Amino acid sequence: MAVAHGLCSGMGGMRTTGDLVCRMQFAKNMKIDAAKKYVADKLEIDPFQLTEENFIRDIRDKEGLGVVTGQPNSPKGLPAKMNIEKVLGITISNCEHYRNQLKK
Amino acid sequence: MTGFEAHEEALKKAIVGCKVPEIKKAVDEAHAAGMPATDIINTMGAAMSDVGVMFERGKLFLPHVLSAAAGMKSAMDILGPELEKNKVQDAKQASVVMGTVEGDVHDIGKSICSTMLQCAGFEVHDLGRDVPSQNFIDEVKGGCTYLGMSALMTTTMAVMKDVIEMLKNDNLRDSVTVMVGGAPVTQAYCDKIGADLYGESASETTEKAKAIRG
Amino acid sequence: MEDYITRMGDGRRVRMTKEQIMSDIVAGMADGADAAQVPELSQDEMERIYEIVCDKSKITSIEPGREVCLSKDAGAIKFNQDNGGSGNAIPCMGRLEGLLVYERSLTFDSMELAWMDYSIKPVKAVINCETSNYEQMAMLTTLPLVMGAMPNMGLYYAPDGPYANPTDLMREFKIEESMAASEAAAEHLTRDIGYVCQEIDKVGCEGFNFDTVASAGDAEFVATLKGMENYRKSNPNAYIECGMSAETVLGIHGGMEYDGKVVAGMYPHEQVKLCEKAGVNIFGSVVNTNTSKSFAWNAARSAVITKECVKVANIPVHANMGMGVGGIPMCELPPTDITGRAAKILIEIANIDGI
Repeated sequence: MAVAHGLCSGMGGMRTTGDLVCRMQFAKNMKIDAAKKYVADKLEIDPFQLTEENFIRDIRDKEGLGVVTGQPNSPKGLPAKMNIEKVLGITISNCEHYRNQLKK
Repeated sequence: MTGFEAHEEALKKAIVGCKVPEIKKAVDEAHAAGMPATDIINTMGAAMSDVGVMFERGKLFLPHVLSAAAGMKSAMDILGPELEKNKVQDAKQASVVMGTVEGDVHDIGKSICSTMLQCAGFEVHDLGRDVPSQNFIDEVKGGCTYLGMSALMTTTMAVMKDVIEMLKNDNLRDSVTVMVGGAPVTQAYCDKIGADLYGESASETTEKAKAIRG
Repeated sequence: MEDYITRMGDGRRVRMTKEQIMSDIVAGMADGADAAQVPELSQDEMERIYEIVCDKSKITSIEPGREVCLSKDAGAIKFNQDNGGSGNAIPCMGRLEGLLVYERSLTFDSMELAWMDYSIKPVKAVINCETSNYEQMAMLTTLPLVMGAMPNMGLYYAPDGPYANPTDLMREFKIEESMAASEAAAEHLTRDIGYVCQEIDKVGCEGFNFDTVASAGDAEFVATLKGMENYRKSNPNAYIECGMSAETVLGIHGGMEYDGKVVAGMYPHEQVKLCEKAGVNIFGSVVNTNTSKSFAWNAARSAVITKECVKVANIPVHANMGMGVGGIPMCELPPTDITGRAAKILIEIANIDGI
């Protein structure tokens, strides 16, 4: 079921920009077209390119947004999310939580 | 033409309106006009089927269904002597054991189905959920002629087949109508395990059970 | 006469003629429009559904550029347990591994951390352990990660909970007692939702997915709406997703209200407006599959009901498209050929924002 939906209809998650678009749906209640446009504008690309795997991979790698393959020195998880905050111009609550845990 | 079309319409309207005083009034008027008791009951029974469908489509709610059923019950009280005189079989002779199979704790759908069957005049023995299989068998031995099993999980619906095997082992299979339902259950599964009746919904189950009861 | 291989709502393969398929599309659409009291689809839309149903490819997919987001209920627990919803029962797959597989291999766009006993009541009992787990797993995952559970108000009724079972009371014609039991259980559930949300906030959890909402009827829906409203007030930035359990809210109580409206009998286009009011970010609409009808019938019915929901919604709508909902057949292994077609129909005709 999950495979079929990913294959036939899904944006592609971290493989492309699906996680970023979905994050804008959550963060700003954006419908699909608005969320795609927002992310595309932030990445300075055309919305049609949002699901173009290799093109997006280079952008994610360059911006440190996390890639799905085992690339050394390419952030995943928390550091990737902190970079996503900057690129999308939003605050992610668990990034904020970890920042607050750091001792001054 | 029965000559009682206006009363039939009033009875249907009263049942779907789900108000006990209105139902009693319609029954009294139909009875006083000479409409046979069996026709009154049958007309109301058909309207109760509509009530069940309207509940499932969100047009009526469970308290409405029960109010309509309470109206049906009061009609039976009004018409009881005539039904008795004419030796009309009381539908309550058909008793049903209902339950969600062992290992499964989902009972909302089953409970609604029990309610619909009760509203249709069946005597319902609802054993709840997570029912040990032997308890179903014991109820059949005690006289239930319908056995309804529900399951919400693909892992527990297999218990239905076990219960049917237990009925066979105790030579009870031919004495009971086995009904199955629940989200993962389908007509194909019903056929596969040798059950008698599958209901897509509570109202469909009730309609099929009524059709078998006759 | 040429015929097409398609499916029934229980997943069986059948052959149908063009006329049979179109007739079922018209009938399914009409049934859905009548049930939900929503506008009918146009002839062009029904013909498009027909084209998608009759596509002879094994896999039918959306055009590039029309892709939608995928969110997930039940987290990754279906890898390691079969909870009756076609889980894989892989014994050694932990939840962290599951989340990462969904993120990096199955290309999901958001996920939830779910406890194996996937209801608010049992989650409350293990919430400290769960928040600790979340705190660590969120460091390794990149996609939006919320926690999730079903409100499942059935667990608050006897024999599991302190309140009498309303449907049992109804059968005894104790209507007022039944309503009182529903109301008391609803208040209890709202309190428990509040407790769980308060605890997850402490670890910076991104939000909560309320899944299979209103499974116990209208009182559960109101309890959840109030719980989500309270959560929104306490955390304006929380990601809140609300996925329904069925296409209509069953009126077990009948009189429960939210925002001055009786919720029983509401269909997706009405449910979503209350969810918006409660502060939900993503709404998960449901249209039930009829196992006795064809895929064409179910897909058209799903499309007409979902279309109006998306049209009136000011928040994104992720249609539930698992076994037995959204036009997908009700069977343990939903056929791949139908999954893509069902999704394509809801994306093109109903304009859904996600699945």
